[in-house]
Amino acid sequence: MMPSILRTREAGVAALILLTVIVVSVINPLFFSANNARDILINAAPGIIVACGLTMVVILGEIDISMGALMGLCAAVLGKLVSADHAALPVWLSCVIVLGLGTSVGLINGLLVTVGRVPSIIATLGMLTALTGIGDLVMAGETIGNFPDTLRSLATGTIGPVPVPVFVALLSVLGFSVLMRSTPLGRRIYAVGSNPHAARLAALPVQRIKLFAFALTGALTALATLISAPQLNVIEAGFGRQFELLVVTAVVVGGTSISGGVGTIIGSALGMLLLAQVRTVLIFLQLGNSATYWERAIQGGFILVAVLADHLGRKRRD
Amino acid sequence: MNWRSFRSWRSFGYWHEAVLIMLVLMLFGYAAMVDAKFLEPATQLGLSSDVWELALVALPMTAIIITAGIDLSVGSTMALAAVVLGLCFEAGMNPYLAALAAVATGAACGALNGVAIAGLKVHPLIVTLATLAAYRGVAEGISLGRPISGFPDAFTALGSGSLLGVPIPGLIFAVLAVVAAVVLARTPFGLSLYAIGHNPVASRYSGLPVARITVTLYTMAGAIAGLAAAIYVARRNTAKADIGSGLELDVITAVVLGGTSIFGGSGRIVGTLLGVLAIHETRKFVGWHWEREELNVIVVGGLLIAAVLINRLFEKKAR
Repeated sequence: MMPSILRTREAGVAALILLTVIVVSVINPLFFSANNARDILINAAPGIIVACGLTMVVILGEIDISMGALMGLCAAVLGKLVSADHAALPVWLSCVIVLGLGTSVGLINGLLVTVGRVPSIIATLGMLTALTGIGDLVMAGETIGNFPDTLRSLATGTIGPVPVPVFVALLSVLGFSVLMRSTPLGRRIYAVGSNPHAARLAALPVQRIKLFAFALTGALTALATLISAPQLNVIEAGFGRQFELLVVTAVVVGGTSISGGVGTIIGSALGMLLLAQVRTVLIFLQLGNSATYWERAIQGGFILVAVLADHLGRKRRD
Repeated sequence: MNWRSFRSWRSFGYWHEAVLIMLVLMLFGYAAMVDAKFLEPATQLGLSSDVWELALVALPMTAIIITAGIDLSVGSTMALAAVVLGLCFEAGMNPYLAALAAVATGAACGALNGVAIAGLKVHPLIVTLATLAAYRGVAEGISLGRPISGFPDAFTALGSGSLLGVPIPGLIFAVLAVVAAVVLARTPFGLSLYAIGHNPVASRYSGLPVARITVTLYTMAGAIAGLAAAIYVARRNTAKADIGSGLELDVITAVVLGGTSIFGGSGRIVGTLLGVLAIHETRKFVGWHWEREELNVIVVGGLLIAAVLINRLFEKKAR
């Protein structure tokens, strides 16, 4: 009998990542390099950060699909505020404003779901649509460039040997894992997700907990924008588009149940790493120029595999 | 199963449709004051050319949401069907036969969704999220992202031709809309969809073949997405793996705006028609009058949230 930790979804995803690394490294030894690992981690960082918040939302039995559009809006606003061609505000002030913007949008999502009793998929779908438009409005069909170096260092700098985005992602995973495992709030999130009715009867502040999770997801989306948008020299319309699908996929692949109550932050982070690997792996397998076109097909395949694994696991338990 | 037992979901009549009609009329009234040219039939006809795919896919989406399901993969299904159409045509197939292949591809995609949902009992949101990525991925993979064009005029007429002044896609849509409305309201199959949406467990215990109905429903949705893909390809004379991107959200918005409950059990084709009309007219007017495409997205998002909030208010009173 396997020890129980090896039978968790997290272990499964980690094993899959490891297996991919080993197989690809054997086929193409160049894959196994620190630079490559660093690139994959940097690519995965924004998704991991947002997944921390989304995991809570999904565990609560809700969903948020507005993150991609919010990311686009945050990038547009950040660009307009900080660029020397536009407002040219100090970097720290712009960052604070963007974080405030993300949090407020998350709060509105949360209020629509809790006070307005709008189903979360509809509320955030409406938000997605509206934010896409507002983002385009802010961009006004142009690209925004000419950023100060301090902003660029948010995305391209390092803390010791660790790139800033990876550092922030690591910190988020650690912090929110502790929050979920060892604080009353974390336990309450699981309680609300596994049985909302019982949670209400136990006098848990269900509405406030949901509000918190949505606001946090908004704030983390803004944070993810701050460490990813400045990687580029210019911000263009369409930044962050369909990012929400990637993050939802990561959360589901990482073992969080869409019906709530079950899931971990680590699982989601591993799920995101697995998805972020795909493109690099396809390049290093040297299957020809056309191989990267299959990236999305493979990512979709991962969800199906995760879902199938879940189904088989459930059958065995029954 | 008799008709009367389903009266509860329509006990407060057609107020939702009435609100939508009023919204559209208000828009028309405003348009008549500031920009009357918008209301001319020729203008409306010109602006309607790209609404038919959305309208077509909204029909099965209504049925799916009535069963408390959802299909996020319709846009990707369209892309895959379009690419199959293009590749078949390139291989020398008659374009209309290729269009049939597109419909079959769509049906296959839908059947796969249905089997995963009904057979594996996985939430439709997850299944179709996976196939949203997978179908478009396969479409990109087999076409390598390149566009295929050069369809003959005899085929492009399917998308841009007209019969007695009515666009051909509009005719196809009208026929299918009537069929969908009758099936939903008057057939055992249609009524069983409401039953499944209300209470899937009770439906199964009362002997409804829930799994078979689910697979049939998603298969039909896929087939119609395939048809929409053929119309799109014919209209634009291009098959490419990026078509239908984001369409699923527009379609769901239209259906929910039309009064179909996302929790299942209630909804009507009439509502969906009005939902599509409201979104289409708002969009086109904003784009036409202010010439700002980005404004209309904001309006549609706001409209959706407002419609659901109003819906909620009425529900409270109804209780």
